[in-house]
Amino acid sequence: MLRQRTRVYTAPRHDSIPLAPTIITTMAPRSSHLRSLRRLGLILVTGKGGVGKTTVSTALARRLAEDGARVLLLEMDPRESAHRLLGLPPSGGEVLECGEGLYFQNLQPRRVIDRLVRERIRIGPIVRKVQASPIYEHFVAGCPGLEELVILGAALEQLEPPHARTTPFQVVVLDAPATGHGLALLAAPRLVSEVIEQGPFGRLAGELATFIGNPERCGVVAVTHAQDLAVQETLELCRSLEAEHGRRAELIVANGLYPALTSDASSSSPTARIWSQRRAANLQALERLAAAPAPVLQLPLLPIDDGPRLAAELARAL
Amino acid sequence: MTWIDEAPSLLLVVGSGGVGKTTVAAGAGLRLAEAGHETLVMTFDPSLRLKDTLGVGAAALDQPVAVARSGPGAPLWASLLDARTTFDRLVKTYSQDSATRDCILGNRYYHHLAGGLAGILEYMAVERLFEVYEEGQYQRIVLDTPPTSQALDFLEAPQRIVDFLDSGALRVAMKPWFDDRGRLRASRIPGLGRGLEAWLDRLVGIDLLRDMADFFRAFQPLFDGFRQRALQVQKLLRSKATQFVLVTGPDEARIPDALFFARRLAEGGYPLGPVVINRVHPEYPGQPPWNSDDGASILAWQGARDQRGVAALRSLLGATQTVVLPQLEVEPADLTGLAEISRRL
Repeated sequence: MLRQRTRVYTAPRHDSIPLAPTIITTMAPRSSHLRSLRRLGLILVTGKGGVGKTTVSTALARRLAEDGARVLLLEMDPRESAHRLLGLPPSGGEVLECGEGLYFQNLQPRRVIDRLVRERIRIGPIVRKVQASPIYEHFVAGCPGLEELVILGAALEQLEPPHARTTPFQVVVLDAPATGHGLALLAAPRLVSEVIEQGPFGRLAGELATFIGNPERCGVVAVTHAQDLAVQETLELCRSLEAEHGRRAELIVANGLYPALTSDASSSSPTARIWSQRRAANLQALERLAAAPAPVLQLPLLPIDDGPRLAAELARAL
Repeated sequence: MTWIDEAPSLLLVVGSGGVGKTTVAAGAGLRLAEAGHETLVMTFDPSLRLKDTLGVGAAALDQPVAVARSGPGAPLWASLLDARTTFDRLVKTYSQDSATRDCILGNRYYHHLAGGLAGILEYMAVERLFEVYEEGQYQRIVLDTPPTSQALDFLEAPQRIVDFLDSGALRVAMKPWFDDRGRLRASRIPGLGRGLEAWLDRLVGIDLLRDMADFFRAFQPLFDGFRQRALQVQKLLRSKATQFVLVTGPDEARIPDALFFARRLAEGGYPLGPVVINRVHPEYPGQPPWNSDDGASILAWQGARDQRGVAALRSLLGATQTVVLPQLEVEPADLTGLAEISRRL
């Protein structure tokens, strides 16, 4: 049954979790990946559906915060799920503090759009009328790229706050949608700035296009399973990043790796057969993944239910 | 007799990303063809992996392609769809003359909208499904719905189109906003006048407005057709000719999603067939070695987690039929692998 996930995080059992042995030996030391991520402002986490983007985003945000950065984890899916991994109630759109240097927000684009209209378009009493008009509805629903722009704009605002009294975040980890929509997010500022050249949105699009295009400030982390289809999608993502954006993923995270099965007690059982096939598929996929133009970081499959303890253990494994 | 032997002519495979919708859709298609129904499997998956699984290649991008398979039964066809091609085709089909068509296809707003508008992929899937259904060439059609974070966009797409067409927005948008010299006619916008114009101009600039106005003007003759079909599609999706197949994973994290889908389908009056619980790990034989530090503890955990998830889903779904598909040793990557799924449905 569905259990409440509000328990408090307790210290990890350090010796109980088997880590996958390092399969690709050309891998750089783990800490260097984190260093290269930490110098970025915005980290966009994308990948195939179901590979654990939210889990990895949460673990990454947590780890960067543990290492001393002031980090905001931004979730875009209005149906919240990251809060469970942080042991929090749903955020309902507010910024919540959830530990030393770690903050969380479920971004609700429509709310942000309405706020932007209120703040930036100072027409006073007409605003409410504008917002109630069908044209506004249509514009918001029908303007391609607007939602993406608003999400990235909110991230940028947290990194470079317009008011001096707001403390900026050093890193924003954005739990972005799956590959196709994730790429659309990356492309939106440029597309919009081509269509809308003036006005606050035109300016915002231009600013964001510059920000997104700067590899020192914005990076992409691709999450994948070490499994045929997911790896294929990851390699395609890398190709699109290179062809359409002239950039590389900062890091590929191969999530959910089956460690070696050392127990020989049940080697002929169906479970063990599934295991050895999955593991073989993992190894094969990691070999294919080695061709990707980005470092690959391996995360083990952990026998832990979805919740704060899983995020903590994965943060440690990063 | 299982559910699939009694399946109606349209099967819509829904579920959140990564649960194996495409594989289940292809498996269902194979099963239906083997049972003697001429079947078309359509997918909107941008990674187009159906083409590899069914071995049809990129040729299926434009037109349905026959799947080369041995064994008894009727022909199986596969079709890979993309939103842009479908939208362009619609514009070409329903434009009354070539000038209108070129005006729409060349419009900057259309150019961005056709690929980028949220929900357009979903609407195009429905639109194409209806088109193929109307042609009546296939006895069974299986649609692998687009991967989307909000998978119910798919069901709401026709309703949204109808709402949009019924709203005042369109009537306003369709008025000639610009005079012959390309200047905005503020008086044309009822009730808001200069305020809205000024607001829109400050917000996005007049150029975009002009593109939008051009687009809607050119599109006007097409809208009646759109509206009518959107209503027909809605009716079809709720009729006896249609059944929804909900795919989910057995792990706890997936359960809220699956229940959400099931509830929304029921609320919307859409006929839900079985819930397919995909990739269920078997129970670990014997005593789980919980203290062991090797992979066996993970095997035991996976088995226990999945059995728990299946039991929870079954009790929460009540009378809805569930079909449990085991975690296969190898993910189906071709017709042989697909047969493993197909025979278990």
